[in-house]
Amino acid sequence: MISFPVLLGVLLIGFLLLQVVPTDPATVVAGPTATKAEVDAIRNDLGLNQPLWVQFGRYLGRVFHLDLGRSMISNRAVVDEIALTLWPTVELMLACLIWAVPLGITLGTLAARRRGTVVDRAIMALSVMGVSVPIFWVGLLLIQYVGGAGLLPFQGRNGPIWTADGFMSIILPAVTLGAVFVGPVARMTRTSLLETLGADYVRTARAKGASDWRVTIRHALRNAMIPVVTLVGLQIGFLLGGSIVTETMFAWPGVGRMAVGAITSSDFPLAQGAILILAVGFMAINLLVDVLYAYLDPRIARG
Amino acid sequence: MTDAALPLQSQADQRAIAAIRRKNAVWRRILRDPPAAAAALFLIVIVGAALLAPWIAPFDPYASNMRLRLCPIGGARCPDFLLGADNQGRDMVSRILFGLRATLGIGIIAVVVGGGLGALIGLSAAYFRRLDQPLMRLVDVLLSFPSILFGLAIAAVMGTGLFSLVVALSIASVPSIARIARGAAQSIMQQEYMEAGRAVGLGDGALIWRYLALNCWPTILIYMTLQLGQAILLGAALSFLGLGAQPPTAELGSMAADGRKFLSIAPHVSTLPCAAIFLVVLAFNVLGDALRDALDPKLRQ
Repeated sequence: MISFPVLLGVLLIGFLLLQVVPTDPATVVAGPTATKAEVDAIRNDLGLNQPLWVQFGRYLGRVFHLDLGRSMISNRAVVDEIALTLWPTVELMLACLIWAVPLGITLGTLAARRRGTVVDRAIMALSVMGVSVPIFWVGLLLIQYVGGAGLLPFQGRNGPIWTADGFMSIILPAVTLGAVFVGPVARMTRTSLLETLGADYVRTARAKGASDWRVTIRHALRNAMIPVVTLVGLQIGFLLGGSIVTETMFAWPGVGRMAVGAITSSDFPLAQGAILILAVGFMAINLLVDVLYAYLDPRIARG
Repeated sequence: MTDAALPLQSQADQRAIAAIRRKNAVWRRILRDPPAAAAALFLIVIVGAALLAPWIAPFDPYASNMRLRLCPIGGARCPDFLLGADNQGRDMVSRILFGLRATLGIGIIAVVVGGGLGALIGLSAAYFRRLDQPLMRLVDVLLSFPSILFGLAIAAVMGTGLFSLVVALSIASVPSIARIARGAAQSIMQQEYMEAGRAVGLGDGALIWRYLALNCWPTILIYMTLQLGQAILLGAALSFLGLGAQPPTAELGSMAADGRKFLSIAPHVSTLPCAAIFLVVLAFNVLGDALRDALDPKLRQ
């Protein structure tokens, strides 16, 4: 599914992003007091007077050596800044997935089994509400009623998730981010399960006397998981997006919040590095999804 | 074109038209689905209110009165303000009406522009097979960027404001519509009337416009409805982050962000715009889902 041209395209967009920027990096690096000769010298140093395709080639070379330049503000290497923020973001997403995906699958299965009943309608209504709610409203409500009442912290990350303080501080952001994720998973599980429940092998299993829930879980659910895995993989791209709002609201020190900060302060190398890592992360997850497919459906691995 | 070809062409025309008619029946089906009909009615009212905002708003949404600052709903200080006042003492009803106008306007323009471009890409990819690979790779690249990142990147390059917001939302709408349009067009390409049209000597332009585009149109429109909800949500999120509409502009996302500082003392200032966004997006999603179900023959049985 992912391929080299896509990666190259993402890199090209990242590179071009730096080209259309209205400010001249050489002037910024040189500082406000620099003479024109100094600015020219720096421009030469940075290779900014080379043709674009040469600059792109050099840029690719640097990216493959994990050299993404330096932040214009902190002057630290962009790779180091990303390394600092990457884990909190991964932690937040895992904390969101770990409750939202199982809940979504459970609700979807329940809705499919009780198709057409009040249970089904209620679950589907909840799911469409989940995809319609602005994520910042969920965050605001939680901050207002849970954080405001002093029940849970809502500003910053108080340590790694395995410490008590760290665990408490991740709850509200993880609930906020997961709230918009349960709905799509539930809906996809339901649709997919309804299709597989009508399949021949399910009828065979039933004919052999397997119980209703055994048929649902052993025979239908595993096959129904294939589109659900795709959806989760795809939605993780949107989750990366959702985490930007969540991280910013809860002052969570992740890549998303760093990207917003970098962009609003015109720190272009850092912003571009953050965008690159988010895009590459999304593609890596898609690769993982492909591997999961092969596990869920052995036909794919053989074919 | 020879005379003998004419009846053949009109036959091909009629088949294409019949296919369109079948799809139009979908809209009638929607009206019999209560939630979808309610959503459609709600949206008509909301869009009407947004369009008429300058005439029906009871007060000027930008006229501040500091004595009425943060007046709660039904507060004695502001008996004329049905939904209270914000942190500048401005009437919430008027601000929400104007906010709807801005938020809906941004979303609709973005989806029409981006969706139109996406439809063009999708139809071209399906019709001109040689373009399929390069165009769809491009769409993949666009898809691999979480759309909120477009908003951030474009805000960085072009500065924050309504124009960059519309550009970002338009670009974000292109890839998914392009995929849908390509899928729809590919199934139309298999139809007999396409072959018939080609056999009677219609050119590429006529085939694309008369048969392909007109038959894909209902499907594309439905996904644009679904996309509209997403575009409104994304636009509101970007404005909430301070990258779209800027205060004092009455726009729902930036109003929500503005009211955030007064959450503990005057929750209505941010809750009302949030609730407005939620209801509008919900209505678009309910309507879009119903349209999609009505079109999907698998679910109809």
